[in-house]
Amino acid sequence: MIFTKFSKMADVILTDYRLVSIIARFGVGLGFGNKSVGEVCNEHKVDVDFFLEIVNSYHNSNYFPENQLRTFQADLIIEYLSKTHAYYLNSKIPKIELCIQKMEQGTIDENSRNVGLLRQFFQEYKVEIEQHFNLEEDKVFPYILLLEEVLVNGNYSDELIERIKKEPIEIYERNHDSLEIKLGDLKNLIIRFLPPVLEDLSEQLLMELFRMESDLEDHARIEEKVLVPKVKLLEQKVLEICGIF
Amino acid sequence: MEYSDKKTQLLIASDQYLNRLGIKTLLSVVGVESDLKETNNLEELIDLLKNGKDPDYLILSDRILSYPQKKCLENLRKQCPTCKLMVIGGETMCRCDCEKFISYSCDQKEMLEQFQNFFLEPKSLAINVESSILSEREIEVLKAIALGLANKEIADRLYISIHTVISHRKNITSKLGIKSISGLTVYALLNSLIHADEVK
Repeated sequence: MIFTKFSKMADVILTDYRLVSIIARFGVGLGFGNKSVGEVCNEHKVDVDFFLEIVNSYHNSNYFPENQLRTFQADLIIEYLSKTHAYYLNSKIPKIELCIQKMEQGTIDENSRNVGLLRQFFQEYKVEIEQHFNLEEDKVFPYILLLEEVLVNGNYSDELIERIKKEPIEIYERNHDSLEIKLGDLKNLIIRFLPPVLEDLSEQLLMELFRMESDLEDHARIEEKVLVPKVKLLEQKVLEICGIF
Repeated sequence: MEYSDKKTQLLIASDQYLNRLGIKTLLSVVGVESDLKETNNLEELIDLLKNGKDPDYLILSDRILSYPQKKCLENLRKQCPTCKLMVIGGETMCRCDCEKFISYSCDQKEMLEQFQNFFLEPKSLAINVESSILSEREIEVLKAIALGLANKEIADRLYISIHTVISHRKNITSKLGIKSISGLTVYALLNSLIHADEVK
């Protein structure tokens, strides 16, 4: 199902409850009565076309009009990605941590040690994910915004040209190691190898991991298929204007 | 790759011409390319299995089996323990010993799905169950990985080539479903293959 600006916002959520967390990233809360997507977006000053592309691509993984998404300003995409980072760090990861912590406290003897191993594993993962996000927010995103900015104000600095030549987005793309691998490992450890612990908590933890994994996949898809190609175009444009190829 | 040009060996056994033709049509719809042999009687089938190399796949109609059919099938199975067997038959055969059973009463969609699954699923469930446990050598390699050794170091320590180390690693990962080094370390600790003090 493809949502349009005329779809009722309530129907969007009723069709796919996972979208609750997506609309929250746009600063849109619940309680929209019978308003359409277009109306709600207007109220919250959200770019409705961009909103629809994100919501549709999340709802249906086959739907991915990359070209259309690429026509949006990079700053819109970056704002969304930054909010997504914050959502992982402030909401998803603490929930998973809490779950593991409760599991550890609720088990005794040998198995408590086992859960402790998972906790350590996830702790390391958390550090990695924080580093990854920090790198993007401190180094990569500002670079992209600067590219977009100079194309408007024509203020091409040597420094920027140097960076495009020496450290283009391509390098970042190559280093963009997948964050899903360790989540997959953690799921496998719990499903296959951890002796059973507190069923309710294990179930809750697994669900959280599955959700975070699919969310991260979607996130990575937007970065790799939309943002990076867009930045490559911007880099090329700047070089062309400056007469360097 | 030495295996890549070796075609899949497939054997169709059914007494009816139309039946064999139908199977061949389904194979081409599913897109299976293979070295194909067919036979219309049990004696020839036994002969083919005894004297030739085992086919990779055997597709068999229960009408070709002598009575009691299940006993007959069991004996056939002994002739070709490694091949993947599909039996097409009546409901009485539905619990027979084979990798895939398809009932004559299936409609087109079911038939196609079953055929697709047959060629997609890993070879034999029996082998899979066994292989879910790591071999002794794999455990040695896993311990070394968990302790943070590099491929070269593992190769030297176990007197094997780097190639062998890499192929062990691939097998370990596919058996455990764990890809990262720290994930493998947790597995090793969970199963007391190594001690926490040993990990860097």
